[in-house]
Amino acid sequence: MTDPRRDQIAIAGVAYCLPSSAFTLEELGTRGSLKSAPETLAGFGFQQAHIAEDESHVEMAMRAARDLLEETGTDPRDIGMVIYAGALTSSSTLAVEPAPGGGALYLPDLLDLFQYPVSRVQSELGLTRAAAIGVDQQACASLFSAIRIGRDMLIAEEELSAVLCMGADKLPPNAPREMIYNLISDAGCATLLRKGGSDNRILAVGHVTKGAFWDAAEMENEIIAAYFPTARTVILETLRKGGLTIGDIDWIVPHNVSLRSWEILLGLLEVGREKLFDENIARVGHTIASDNLINLRDLLGSGRVRKGDHLLLFTFGYGLNWSCIVLEH
Amino acid sequence: MDRMVLVTGGTGVLGCELVRRLVRDPDRPRVVVLSRVAREPENGVEFVRGDLRGGGGLSLAPTVHAELSHGVTDILHCAAATQFTLPLEDARAANVGGTRSVLEFAAGCPSLRRVGCFSTVYVAGRRTGRITEEDLEDGGAGFVNSYEQSKNEMEWEVRSRMDDLPLAVYRASTLIGDSATGAVPAFNAFHHALRLLYQGLAPMIPGDPDHPVDLAAVDFVAGAADWLFQNRFEPGRTYHLCSGPAASCPLDELIDAVVDAFHQFRPEWRRRSIEKPAIVNLPTYELFVRTVEEAGNTILLAATRAVQSFAYQLAYPKTFDTTSTAAALEGSGLRTPPVLEYLPAVVRTCIETEWKAKSG
Repeated sequence: MTDPRRDQIAIAGVAYCLPSSAFTLEELGTRGSLKSAPETLAGFGFQQAHIAEDESHVEMAMRAARDLLEETGTDPRDIGMVIYAGALTSSSTLAVEPAPGGGALYLPDLLDLFQYPVSRVQSELGLTRAAAIGVDQQACASLFSAIRIGRDMLIAEEELSAVLCMGADKLPPNAPREMIYNLISDAGCATLLRKGGSDNRILAVGHVTKGAFWDAAEMENEIIAAYFPTARTVILETLRKGGLTIGDIDWIVPHNVSLRSWEILLGLLEVGREKLFDENIARVGHTIASDNLINLRDLLGSGRVRKGDHLLLFTFGYGLNWSCIVLEH
Repeated sequence: MDRMVLVTGGTGVLGCELVRRLVRDPDRPRVVVLSRVAREPENGVEFVRGDLRGGGGLSLAPTVHAELSHGVTDILHCAAATQFTLPLEDARAANVGGTRSVLEFAAGCPSLRRVGCFSTVYVAGRRTGRITEEDLEDGGAGFVNSYEQSKNEMEWEVRSRMDDLPLAVYRASTLIGDSATGAVPAFNAFHHALRLLYQGLAPMIPGDPDHPVDLAAVDFVAGAADWLFQNRFEPGRTYHLCSGPAASCPLDELIDAVVDAFHQFRPEWRRRSIEKPAIVNLPTYELFVRTVEEAGNTILLAATRAVQSFAYQLAYPKTFDTTSTAAALEGSGLRTPPVLEYLPAVVRTCIETEWKAKSG
């Protein structure tokens, strides 16, 4: 039996931050940042990647959160919980630049291990009454986990009225910009969960982890093969939990992996291409964990979503993690 | 008159089974197997050196040709190139040209009473729906692979000679193993598809989840062919040696049964968290295949092509009518085993042999 309070939690706002620097596929190819030929990635729907050169990951996340608080008119002291999600170990561990030396993780001092991004965020944004929680190890699905936890905390704790979920990921300098035929960008985003909202109510969340695929470097082919059938299973199961079918969905808000892979997944789901909000795949690229929220904001901002529309957000992360959220606008 | 049975393809899966049954026949016919290499007699079987690929007969030595053409009463033509990926001209050379050679030889056999030509139910190619035993179309619907097309053309060749030779056609389904033991005499495209599913490299399969997939047991098909050829031979007829709709199971159930067998015979397989393949429509499947090709991922490309060899036909759902066969099998004591009865044992054989060795 579904808890009737569950559908009273809503996404009250979304904001994001993209770095100002963007590089075309040709430029990235010239820099040696791609494994595939630029034209192959272009054929999969990509055009450019945003790369944070001056901004740190935490700064991108904070910029998004500041915009969100301002746009929603939220007093930072109303936030009872802030959940910071990082897909990369550097994102979730370091409150400063992830890798000044060019490596994936740079820890010159033991105490650097205790410099948590979420604490810095709580302080700099003035979230003085917010309990700070970090979420990681779900890769691109980390923010979905944050939203799930935030929703459940709002349901469980009567005094809690608003949860801020935020995060950002930035690849180390000079890192390859292609993973499993996807073009990777840096970005940050933030979303506000509130009790009793009428727009964008969370109807259901679903998450499946298959730890058998934890060794991403060794299992790339198996991961590609596992992606599609499991994605379909997770999506259909999440819809079932929300009392919906795939035919009830008006919009699919994707993670920005290759457009081709979405076309295949739509075929598996028997959903028309017109329901996919795909406009950011070329422009934004795959921003690790921020894709769906970036796309949700832009879709809502486009004015095309009508009251009562059902939105399906789906993402997939190493680990492996498949995650899905269903909203009612 | 003494019976002399000439068998082509006597070392193949079906030919081997038929030869085994012939040498056990109480009438003790003389069994002669055409072989490309010289071989000594073995277990009551004689071997003659010859080749169907030469054109113009069986490429027999003149004395052998004279002896055989004089004495042969029965011919079982089982030889075929069964690879799905052969260039069409090569498949034609083997399956049409080879059959033409057999028929040419048969025409010169004064004692000939019957010729059985083995084919495949998939001469129907990309046609869908109910396929009767008499159906043979000229390929307007197209074919999934060169094997199907060359066998279709072979059947036209056989039909063109039915007025002057005693010919019957036996169309076999995909043979997956022995219904009693699960033994797999040879691994084919079906088994390779199973292996990729086992390895987690088969994300999707084209087809209709509710439509039955025709797979057949080697022992049943061989037993039925033996009975029809020896006891109910009727020239000009074509028979479907398959499971038919009643003994087949829908694609979705078939995949579930395979996954259940993986769990049963390799409990640790469950820990690999491999999702069963999604059943998708053909455009989606083709988009996936094209994407793998464009990405240039060699391992996935090889896996996709291997699955494709078996699975592509599933996108053209059809059922094979067995009315003539069922009527002719009356009195044989043969029962068509439902595929779900022996599929688990076949899967077990695949797992235990690691898809490498013959068993049984």
